[in-house]
Amino acid sequence: MAKTTFRIGGVHPDDAKVSRGCAIEVLPLPQTVYISMAQHLGAPAKPVVAVGDSVKAGQLIAEAGGFISANVHSSVSGKVKSIAPRKDIAGNNVLHVEITVEGDEWAEGIDLSDTLVTEIPGDRAAILDRIKACGVVGLGGATFPTHVKLNPAPGSVAECLIINGAECEPYLTSDFRIMLERPKEIVVGAAIMKKVLGDCRCVIGIEENKPEAIESMSKAVAELGYPGIEVLSLKKKYPQGGEKQLIDAVMRRQVKSGGLPISVGAVVQNVATSLAVYEAVQKNKPLVTNVMTITGDCLPVEKQHNYQFRIGMPLSYIAEYAGGVPEGAAKIISGGPMMGRAVANMDACTVKGSSSLLYLSEGATKRSEPGNCIRCGRCADACPMGLEPFFLFKLAKVGDMDQLEANAVQDCISCGCCQFSCPAFLPLLDQINIAKGQVLGILKARAAAAKAAAEAAKK
Amino acid sequence: MDKYLVSPNPHVHAAVSSDSLMRDVIIALLPAIVVSVVFYGWSELLVLAVGALSCVLLEYVIARWLMKDLHLFSGSSALVTGLLLSMNLPSTTPWWVVFIGAIVAIGVAKMSFGGLGQNVFNPAITGRVFLLVSFPTYLTHWEIPGGLWGADAVTGATPLGAIKEGLMQGGTVQDIMAANGYSYGQMLFANLGGSAGEISAIALLLGFVYLLVRRVIKPHITLSIWATVFVFAGIMWLINPARFTDPVFNLLTGGMILGSCFMATDYVTSPMSDKGGIIFGVGIGLIAMLIRYFGSYPEGVSFAILIMNAAVPLINRFCHQKKFGRA
Repeated sequence: MAKTTFRIGGVHPDDAKVSRGCAIEVLPLPQTVYISMAQHLGAPAKPVVAVGDSVKAGQLIAEAGGFISANVHSSVSGKVKSIAPRKDIAGNNVLHVEITVEGDEWAEGIDLSDTLVTEIPGDRAAILDRIKACGVVGLGGATFPTHVKLNPAPGSVAECLIINGAECEPYLTSDFRIMLERPKEIVVGAAIMKKVLGDCRCVIGIEENKPEAIESMSKAVAELGYPGIEVLSLKKKYPQGGEKQLIDAVMRRQVKSGGLPISVGAVVQNVATSLAVYEAVQKNKPLVTNVMTITGDCLPVEKQHNYQFRIGMPLSYIAEYAGGVPEGAAKIISGGPMMGRAVANMDACTVKGSSSLLYLSEGATKRSEPGNCIRCGRCADACPMGLEPFFLFKLAKVGDMDQLEANAVQDCISCGCCQFSCPAFLPLLDQINIAKGQVLGILKARAAAAKAAAEAAKK
Repeated sequence: MDKYLVSPNPHVHAAVSSDSLMRDVIIALLPAIVVSVVFYGWSELLVLAVGALSCVLLEYVIARWLMKDLHLFSGSSALVTGLLLSMNLPSTTPWWVVFIGAIVAIGVAKMSFGGLGQNVFNPAITGRVFLLVSFPTYLTHWEIPGGLWGADAVTGATPLGAIKEGLMQGGTVQDIMAANGYSYGQMLFANLGGSAGEISAIALLLGFVYLLVRRVIKPHITLSIWATVFVFAGIMWLINPARFTDPVFNLLTGGMILGSCFMATDYVTSPMSDKGGIIFGVGIGLIAMLIRYFGSYPEGVSFAILIMNAAVPLINRFCHQKKFGRA
């Protein structure tokens, strides 16, 4: 099979997939869960339960708060104890529904059996409704509501559905494990989304460092026999799982700056999302569980795990259950080491998109003292968007917004390749992220002003 | 929770630092250093030691007491500058001349611009060119290798110098080559007069391959210099082989290999983009050959690199990476 990858930039961090051999285990229920109302991209969900209500697992507890938003369901059965702001992993206050766990009773109509349902419903709108009702969001990192992505604006045509099994972040193995343990469900999920998008081509992209996953997925595709689905082996390179990079790798097409994937005929969904779509459509099960990896360079392999968790479980509860935070940990990260977020608050709870608890030692993660830029150009070679981080860094320091925009700081995907490869240890991405935020603000204000002017002219 | 670090992504870093890159450059220079010491003997070792030590010392003194910021001291980079400066000098250069070269390289060309990463001109070449125009007698007379244990060291001219001299006296290239008994084999394996770093093309190329394999440098600049020299010299040689030396001779003699592999590829003073690197290399190749063929100096690589150093900001302004999803 021809191996391919994206054409611009990229780096090769040590993949450190120590936990690849850890089969998925189901976490026991805690006494209390705290379910966030903002666990997707877009507007927070609006609670539809009141304090004191009894809820069942899988029952709707909050409705989508806008067009780009998603429903939220209870992950446990029990009593709503409070609906109040609570700190998330970064320490920001977010509205959470606190539920005291009582037993484990699921809402009516949810099929919890293991029976594989391969028959795909015929009605496209009904499928979309089900995905929307079940609160499915993209589980590859951005948590963009899936039903919105699967329903492109009129006029745009999906030519290729790309299922993202790249899992290019070092350490993480949750996608790898579901590809080994639940390949058929993922393929059925892919077939469902393919159908929704009008029976386009479907490619499941997996990096070559996961040969078992490639084999398992290929076998599932062959056995299920849906037409037009193929597995593609990709050369290992970070950030292969970046949406634009994966489209470039699979379709050799580059999404224009500021454009959406659908503009080049692509829709990208993660393997975990595909599994969630399967469960939503075939089993009527809302997105209340996901798989996360407990890993790190200071955690011995026998203490590493892949856990199926329910949303709303406190991170501290999961860490305790797994044997506590290891002695040598200097930083705790939710997500991968390249793009994950440092956990500032272990009382924060899992969300739909949680993918890991990553413990890094001081040696692995401590930043070195920055030196002078030696103009080696490694950051520019590494940037998968073809930007010049050394230049953006300088511009950001002096705050030259016009030049920052002209040099495409707004195209930055914050993948961290520049800072990862800088031999002078410059905080390139820190500066660029700040500048990107400012430039995006300017672009938004300009677009709003132009819209207002156009409307005024109409009148 | 207060004992854990919290900072934005990325949370890991590649196993590379400015010091590790400079260490690789020093390792890459080792074969040529060993060959030059074996062929030129103890006097070469003295030149190398004085160059290396004085560059490191001067950088430290300037950073600490003149600029009052020890962060500006980068020992590994100063060591590379010192070694390259020494390798560009004849083994007979007096120690105090080497020291003056180090003052110009580190003090003038590097630290007065703000230290590591800030200089426009390659420090080692600036030092060498300063010495070349200030102390021409010391810098243009070479010792034919006598070796570490060999006794009979003879002084003479470099092949490029001999040919320039011979042509001015009305000889043809073929006659001069034959009279001096030059062969490509000699040029590859260190047997001709010249600066330490000029004598063994093979040893330098070994270092160059090491740098490529370790991905310390990219080949664009070096290869475009070679291609330009080869094509330009080839055309001139085909037109008049009596007047113009052949392309292989031009690639193997003088500072061409040292300059193209180690000096033109200096991060700080070369363009950032691959496209810019190619323009930079073509410029160096052309200017070096114009000086060799038509200038009054027999050798032009140092001048060519300095001239193109000055053009780097301009090249950077017009040559950018190809951005993703933008025309």
